[in-house]
Amino acid sequence: MSVNRTNIWELAEAYLAGTLPQDEFVALKLRLSTDAAFATEFYEATDLIRSATDSGKHKRFRAMLRDVHQQQTAVQKEKKAKLVLFSPQMWRTAGVAASVAFLASTITFWSLKPSLNKTESKYNTISREVTGLKIEQAKQNEKQKKLEQDLVDKTRKVTPPPSDIKTTGTGFALSNNGYFVTAYHVIHDENGYGDSVYIQAHDGQYYKASLVTFDANADVAIMKVDKAGFRFGKGELPYTFTQSKSVLGTHIFTVGYPTDDIAYSEGYISSRNGYEGNKMQYTLELPVGHGQSGSPLVDGKGNVLGLLTAVGSHSEEKTYAVSTKAITALLHKLPDEKNIKLPKHARIAHMGREQQIEKMEEYTFSVKVYKK
Amino acid sequence: MQSLTTTEQDLLAALASGQRAATEQIYRQNYHIISGWLIKNGGSATDAADLFQEAMVVLFGKAQEEEFRLTCSIGTYLFAISKHLWYKKLQKQSRNPVALYDNTGAEDEEETGIAYEDDINVHHEREAHYEQLDNALDQLGEPCRSILKAYYHHDKSMQEIAADFGYTNPDNAKTQKYKCLARLRKLFYSM
Repeated sequence: MSVNRTNIWELAEAYLAGTLPQDEFVALKLRLSTDAAFATEFYEATDLIRSATDSGKHKRFRAMLRDVHQQQTAVQKEKKAKLVLFSPQMWRTAGVAASVAFLASTITFWSLKPSLNKTESKYNTISREVTGLKIEQAKQNEKQKKLEQDLVDKTRKVTPPPSDIKTTGTGFALSNNGYFVTAYHVIHDENGYGDSVYIQAHDGQYYKASLVTFDANADVAIMKVDKAGFRFGKGELPYTFTQSKSVLGTHIFTVGYPTDDIAYSEGYISSRNGYEGNKMQYTLELPVGHGQSGSPLVDGKGNVLGLLTAVGSHSEEKTYAVSTKAITALLHKLPDEKNIKLPKHARIAHMGREQQIEKMEEYTFSVKVYKK
Repeated sequence: MQSLTTTEQDLLAALASGQRAATEQIYRQNYHIISGWLIKNGGSATDAADLFQEAMVVLFGKAQEEEFRLTCSIGTYLFAISKHLWYKKLQKQSRNPVALYDNTGAEDEEETGIAYEDDINVHHEREAHYEQLDNALDQLGEPCRSILKAYYHHDKSMQEIAADFGYTNPDNAKTQKYKCLARLRKLFYSM
């Protein structure tokens, strides 16, 4: 058997392109394994072609980047001029969307925080960056259409529909009149806020929500559904918010949205304090997925102990939750605290687990952050 | 555009294949963050443009790897790479490096910091390799230098090259290209 092609370069090109016919490929492999001089020459040829091809790609990419930079800096200048137009009053109504104007100052805040990198390395927040799967993409497109349709159907006055889901997390109700809580990092990451936040409530409908207040350090955000007269469920919330710290070993469960379907998982408190001894957190043995940030942490008696915030790095597999204290502390700071009446009675206290989950489902929902 | 913006992994794939729309999107979402940070840390607008471009090239290089999947968001990655590149640059200039290095935190160096360092080292090695190749190319005589540049750098087809360089058909141009590659190989591997 001999290699038909006399030109080693032609052979190398066909080999790299994967266009070598089967018989020639077999012959080549055989010769490469028996003829050392030929193998050296051949691999030098493939390396050189590969390097030249990649180098060319990089050069074209750099040229394009320079071009994009020039074009974008021109656009940026225009935008800056526009942003100045946001008046303080607009701010309140435009809510999360307008926070784009604040971007510059928020970035400074984060970048000056020495702990930021630590947080990134050992500690992974569990909002779900929407990635990958084609199926999910199709699902989202479908949802997107539905969302757009809903917006057209229901509200003619409001903003144009956002184009793209950026992050998803989970949220749960604080009071039946539309206030809810989620993890702050769900709505604000290193790229700033999304353009808008929607929840997909138990009835499957999307509702726009605005930020009420937040504590970035604790990773808690309190939001409110914009729609007037909105109710999460028929009755009062079936769970209560515990004010005392729960004991080690307390069995807990959570429901949340790692995907578009709600998921249940259970575990226990494995340490009284959280990440690096954080007293406002619990450490848990609880399997969770991305997208479950902001999920409620509930004990068997229907007390919410906290909300999920992060998972440890691969080596430790811990889950962390922010204690309810952080939520109530935030509520106390609100001027209109009275509007948020935390439930006093846990209806699910004496129910079986299946029923508890069913009730929790009604007040737990997916939080979707959109960005154009 | 619609399909491009759907997910970060798709966005990366589009970036890897050199699509402009994807590049623009990543640029739009991240440039102001990194330039804002850099300017707060004593860089200029020109530094920011250079730094961001370099970080984007690192990401582009990483995205070429078939098995590559980001373990963090594109934004986080670019920001981390930019920081590392900038600290390295400062360290080289020995302009106040210690105080700024504290910002990254010691743990960062132990954990993901090493991964970013690796990516940057691979990037620098690759750049050095390309530079060597460019040097070899420049030592080639004409028409070889121009033919190889047209084919590899400017992504011209053999038909176009045959027309531009006055060959009667693409096969003749191809034969010439192979001769040029043989010369390039000798130059490159003797350097």
